[in-house]
Amino acid sequence: MTGARKAVYLDYAATTPVDPRVALRMAECLTQEGAFGNPGSTSHDYGEAARALVEEARGQVAAAVGAVPADIVWTSGATEANNLALFGVANHQRGSGRHIVTSRTEHKAVLDPCRELERRGWRVTYLTPGRAGLIDAAQVAEALKPDTVLVSIMHVNNEIGVVQDIAAIAAVCAAHGAARLHVDAAQSIGKCPLDFARLGLDLLSLSAHKSYGPKGVGALVVSRARGVQLEALQLGGGQERNLRSGTVATHQVVGMGTAFELAAAEWSVENPRIALLRERLWRGLDRLRGVQRNGEAQHTAAQLLNVSFEGVEGESLLAAVRSSIAVSTGSACSSSSQEASYVLRALGRDERLAESSLRFSLGRFTTEAEVDTAIEAVVRAVTRLREVAGSHTGS
Amino acid sequence: MNYSNLTWRHFENPGCSGVLAGAGVRRGAAGSRAQGTWVQFDVRMRSLNERPTIETVRFLAYACPHVIAVADWLAQEAAGRPAEPVLPESVHALRRRFLVPIEKLGRLLVVEDAWIAALTSPYQEGSA
Repeated sequence: MTGARKAVYLDYAATTPVDPRVALRMAECLTQEGAFGNPGSTSHDYGEAARALVEEARGQVAAAVGAVPADIVWTSGATEANNLALFGVANHQRGSGRHIVTSRTEHKAVLDPCRELERRGWRVTYLTPGRAGLIDAAQVAEALKPDTVLVSIMHVNNEIGVVQDIAAIAAVCAAHGAARLHVDAAQSIGKCPLDFARLGLDLLSLSAHKSYGPKGVGALVVSRARGVQLEALQLGGGQERNLRSGTVATHQVVGMGTAFELAAAEWSVENPRIALLRERLWRGLDRLRGVQRNGEAQHTAAQLLNVSFEGVEGESLLAAVRSSIAVSTGSACSSSSQEASYVLRALGRDERLAESSLRFSLGRFTTEAEVDTAIEAVVRAVTRLREVAGSHTGS
Repeated sequence: MNYSNLTWRHFENPGCSGVLAGAGVRRGAAGSRAQGTWVQFDVRMRSLNERPTIETVRFLAYACPHVIAVADWLAQEAAGRPAEPVLPESVHALRRRFLVPIEKLGRLLVVEDAWIAALTSPYQEGSA
């Protein structure tokens, strides 16, 4: 970071700071006076105390997503949850079907396992969303085959914030009968309500650190009522219904449970406030000519705004704003080059425009003054870079 | 991506960005916006006799910070030098000076091509 002043943080979709109330509860599990015991050690009070907290957290997470506590399987995060869902179902169902349906705009934590499954002999259909980023349930219906074992569609897209119609997709899967529906909801908690049981979902991936909880913990919700069966990826101890062996990290899951409880309780106040800030940001950026909003406002989660800026090169744009605001390009950056966002490319944006896009993600601690600072910084940077590029002088 | 202090300085304050017009100005460009790197140099000569020297250089660049910084540095450094279609220092030396990753060497070659194009181009229409 250049300069002494801290940049305004507008990258809440990448991660969030831990809410102080969450941190407090986590700390209570770490020290000698707290519930530091192994929750698997039920032969003494230390273990029992930790176990009680783990189960309380399980209940908090389940309540936040409309599941029952027994459905919650702790993982190290949404990436592990996605891997467990995809490989777990595929491996368990290998005898009955080898076809999977997903979309081109899923997170890499879904796409990469799908590619690996293809290498292992499964067939994967990658659906292309419309220009707004939405997958039509009819597309899913058309893609389903008699041997489809799994459909994996994310709820809130991490780059443009578009919210998929999970209810409609779930209905299609239910009509098919054999295809399990997995939903990656890493970006959803506290932003877009999702009712696991009511929607009839089979599997749901969750992350704590996108919702003011700690990094390194997540969960896979696995419906017992619907008889979902998985093959474990990690063996050695049989914790978590034999689906995820390893000592449960009490402080982490307590953090996740507290964060999800807070998210559920404060959503109705927090979300409208953030939505207003996002629209303030968009109105400020829209003053610049040649900007495009990626994802229609009515179909996107409140916290996300993805904007393409014509006439500026992507890496320079990010460099020019980075002393003032912390945002993401929505593209995979390496040390030497930028790769245009595959999500924006899948929506039909050309490579240059996809590269010159910024993802602004607002959150619980974002203020109006910070949004105004961001507007000023981006307008200044884009104007300067367009002048340097002679963007309206032609080339 | 991390940038050297020299890169930051020229990227954040490119004092030589812009265009020139009038007598004694040559213009050359290379690369393309569609490919992600485009650079243009305008070079004003001090005299039009047999050994002209460079008086002023301005540039435009649709490019990454490294390319913008190198173009700005070149524009500053070239003033007073003989108007020859060769960079004040090699592309490899520029890469080392600005700590440009090797993967971006091709982008620096675009800068060189634009420089050579400018120095070998005819004077702009309306020029002396």
